[in-house]
Amino acid sequence: MTTVARPPGSDDIVVAEPRLRSYIRHAVTTTWLLPSAALLIGLFVIPTIYAIYLGFTNLELLGQYAQNYSFTGLANLQRMVHDPTFWLSVKLTLIFVIGSGIVAQTVLGLALALLAQRVNVVVRASVGAIVILAWVLPEIAVAFVWYSFSQAGGTLSHLFGTPKSDLLSTAPMLVVCLANAWRGTAFSMLLLSAGLRNVPGEVDEAAQLEGAGYWRRLFTVTLPIMRPTLMINLLLITLATISDFTLIYAMTQGGPGNQTAILPVYMYIEAFQFNQLGYGTTIALTLVLIGAILSIAYIRQLRPELKDSTS
Amino acid sequence: MAKIALRRVTKSFGSKVAVDDLNLEIEDGEFVIVVGPSGCGKTTTLRMIAGFETPNMGTLHIGGTLMNHVPPKDRNLAMVFQNYALFPHMSVERNLSFGLRIRHTSKKDINTQVHEIAEMLSIDGLLDRKPSQLSGGERQRVALGRALLRKPQAFLLDEPLSNLDAALRTQMRFELKRIHTQFPVTTVYVTHDQVEAMTMADRIVLMNKGEIQQVARPETLYADPANVFAAGFIGSPKINLFSAQVDHSGGQSVLHCLATAIPVTTEIADRLRSAHSETVTIGIRPEEIVLRSPMDHNPGQADISGIVEVIEPLGAETHIAVRVGNETLTCRTPPRSGFEVGSAINLCFDVAQATIFDGTSGLRLC
Amino acid sequence: MTYQARSLKGDEVSADQLAASTSDSSAPAVIQKRRSLSRPVLTLLMVIIGVVFLLPLLWLILASFNPGADDTLALPHPFSLTNYHLVIHAGAGAAIMNSLYLAGVSTIIATAVSTMAGFMLARRKIRFKGLILILVLFLTGLPVTLLLIPTYQIFVDLGWLNSKFYTSLVLASMSVPFSIWLLKNFIGQVPGEFEEAAAIEGASEISILFRIVIPLIIPGILVSAILTFINSWGSFLIPLVLDANPSDTPGAVGIYQFMSANGQVQFGQLAAYSVLFSVPVIILYLISSRWLSGGFSFAGGVKG
Repeated sequence: MTTVARPPGSDDIVVAEPRLRSYIRHAVTTTWLLPSAALLIGLFVIPTIYAIYLGFTNLELLGQYAQNYSFTGLANLQRMVHDPTFWLSVKLTLIFVIGSGIVAQTVLGLALALLAQRVNVVVRASVGAIVILAWVLPEIAVAFVWYSFSQAGGTLSHLFGTPKSDLLSTAPMLVVCLANAWRGTAFSMLLLSAGLRNVPGEVDEAAQLEGAGYWRRLFTVTLPIMRPTLMINLLLITLATISDFTLIYAMTQGGPGNQTAILPVYMYIEAFQFNQLGYGTTIALTLVLIGAILSIAYIRQLRPELKDSTS
Repeated sequence: MAKIALRRVTKSFGSKVAVDDLNLEIEDGEFVIVVGPSGCGKTTTLRMIAGFETPNMGTLHIGGTLMNHVPPKDRNLAMVFQNYALFPHMSVERNLSFGLRIRHTSKKDINTQVHEIAEMLSIDGLLDRKPSQLSGGERQRVALGRALLRKPQAFLLDEPLSNLDAALRTQMRFELKRIHTQFPVTTVYVTHDQVEAMTMADRIVLMNKGEIQQVARPETLYADPANVFAAGFIGSPKINLFSAQVDHSGGQSVLHCLATAIPVTTEIADRLRSAHSETVTIGIRPEEIVLRSPMDHNPGQADISGIVEVIEPLGAETHIAVRVGNETLTCRTPPRSGFEVGSAINLCFDVAQATIFDGTSGLRLC
Repeated sequence: MTYQARSLKGDEVSADQLAASTSDSSAPAVIQKRRSLSRPVLTLLMVIIGVVFLLPLLWLILASFNPGADDTLALPHPFSLTNYHLVIHAGAGAAIMNSLYLAGVSTIIATAVSTMAGFMLARRKIRFKGLILILVLFLTGLPVTLLLIPTYQIFVDLGWLNSKFYTSLVLASMSVPFSIWLLKNFIGQVPGEFEEAAAIEGASEISILFRIVIPLIIPGILVSAILTFINSWGSFLIPLVLDANPSDTPGAVGIYQFMSANGQVQFGQLAAYSVLFSVPVIILYLISSRWLSGGFSFAGGVKG
């Protein structure tokens, strides 16, 4: 009994498929794939490749270098490395991502997910709805609301006990981080809730029988089991936050001065306010690179779990 | 109604061969059941007849026409899928009339025919319901109805009863057979259940590992299996199989097995010799073994002694597993035969009635 | 087997039980020292978080109905729709219409295109399919910040700037990778047997497509469409850069411009503007969450 395919022998009959039917089938398949391919290649792939080129040119928005720009090699990179604002921007971006994204959203999201397990339906549903509403609100609306909130005499200022000061001027990163945390918590809450639901109840009960208290169980049993979910959550938050433009730009335009100029905002300012399209692209490329490195780091963390589930 | 002929059909998926050099001719109006363990190639064969898979090599003819590359819609076949494939977004009525609507049959005709079939299958009260509102048995009848309405040249059924509970399955076996008598359309039915095969088929096609093991009527398959696989697959409880050493050294050839030597007739001995078999597998159906208490032993009768291991009373009969040396033999006895677990017992069978297979190839010798 | 996380109520010994067990002299009392916080405390904690989250939203709604709104949280006095009227006349209405155009056109294009591609990727054998799928997955992670400048430059060269249509095209293409993934997976889940059954019943490919396939994948198409719409609706940077035409300004950019337009920030009117701009999205979200109920229905968050 053969189990390995053999090629047709001399006495085998092979009936070939009629050409026309084959052509038609391929034509239909291709036609249906074409529009997506065109859109993606034209407006995604080509701009990406173009960006990699532009990042090394001296293209400008206006003036002589708008039409006649040229390849300038590593000039932009050198400029970037020596640009103090760039390094400030990197620092601010990391603060923004880690502070409002990783710390605030994840911790709050996890807290809400854990709390949701133990409160009654009404509280759970209503608080959940409020938090989700904050997430569904268009970003510009969030920017406006928090802008108003943090004005001198605004509600936030009252809460902080500094009614006279314009928090947006005195502690801009703080306000911006709070706004982003407020906006994004719902996502973590939902994702981590789902992750919590997948933690087997039996494991937690076994730990209880062993005498482990709540916090110990949380840190040594529940969270480790949720590691993949936590990692995915961190990955998605990082990618979303690192390239976030609207919230900060609408609230502070990167200011006061450059105090909130995270990389996307800095890129916009350089490109469209200082006309440095080429340099702006260099900054954008760096941003993508940082995002890629972080993604790979997260995915590496996920590998052991993935191996376990497929072996 | 049509004849179906597969000649030298081979189908592989990548490097895995699902169907290997298959030759099969199904007569007009025949109810053929293709049966075998999972992975044996039966479903692939059915799908090739339907047109969802194309043979890599070989030819498929339906009604005399070459069909290798004819699309399913043009083959005028009807199929009942394992999970019924009833369109979930359509009512029962629309499911049934789907094929007719495609062919632009007149509304009046559709109505008449649908109601006729629905009545025959006792689903006429369900015409407005959606499949999700039906029970398993009801869905199955709708699937059948959809197939019957088309008046195709052949029916294809892919494990149609496997999702039903045991009682329903028995009932549907009768129904299907009755329908086939009423509509004697060529039918190809695929299943892994040998009981379905035995009870319903005109002929059984037994497959294993992509190859046909035997094609025969149920009785023939049971009484004269072509090889060890066929013998073991058909029949419940399973046939007793044990190996024996052939010994031609003495005046009369004997088979050494079950801790004893069984003499064989010269006819059998000659067959064994010409096949050059040194070891054989002996197959004895449970009902061919006679059990006797050691007390009833008549001198002059060659009985084999064993110990009763398990007794399974089934009501109409009892199955008894007897341990003989390293082998366990299953036997069928009338109820309340009075044997006890652990007691000694004597087995008696006629080796001339048994089936003997070659030890290495598994093919039947006599 | 499904595992379910359970509420940890089971291990808590309430005060009553403790009292009962200590007073029952026939059985030795097993007094468990409660280590975890009690339910009321946790409920309070969650409510506090809820209220904190609510404050900005509350301000927004109240301010929108308050003609004299400023940046403090206050009840509208009087309660009126003046802000809404004013801001609509000041251009909010037109801007929201523009948002409707951008979101609508991009959704139609993205959904149609992604459904076709998703269907083919799910059902047909295609050379390099694995490679294509990985590429599409990779594209879902690319930020718009990278594409902004080169797309701008290309649009300059093509003369496609300041056009609502071409901007919609860009918005569509941004949603396409994720939509293709969504639809490909969704369609992949629909058993192929329905199409096979229809085929053997005699239906042509087109027939199968319209009678069987499309009705079955409508939920997936709708989810994809709604997600695209929501994303395009809130888009700020792309229209800001690619379309400087004042009559093309969508809601997001409009709100921003309104913020910096007059000397004094018109809190009330901007609040009304924001509410108007947010309502369609909230409605769409509510509609779609019913379909994606599993993940979004927080009320059913904890099982058993």
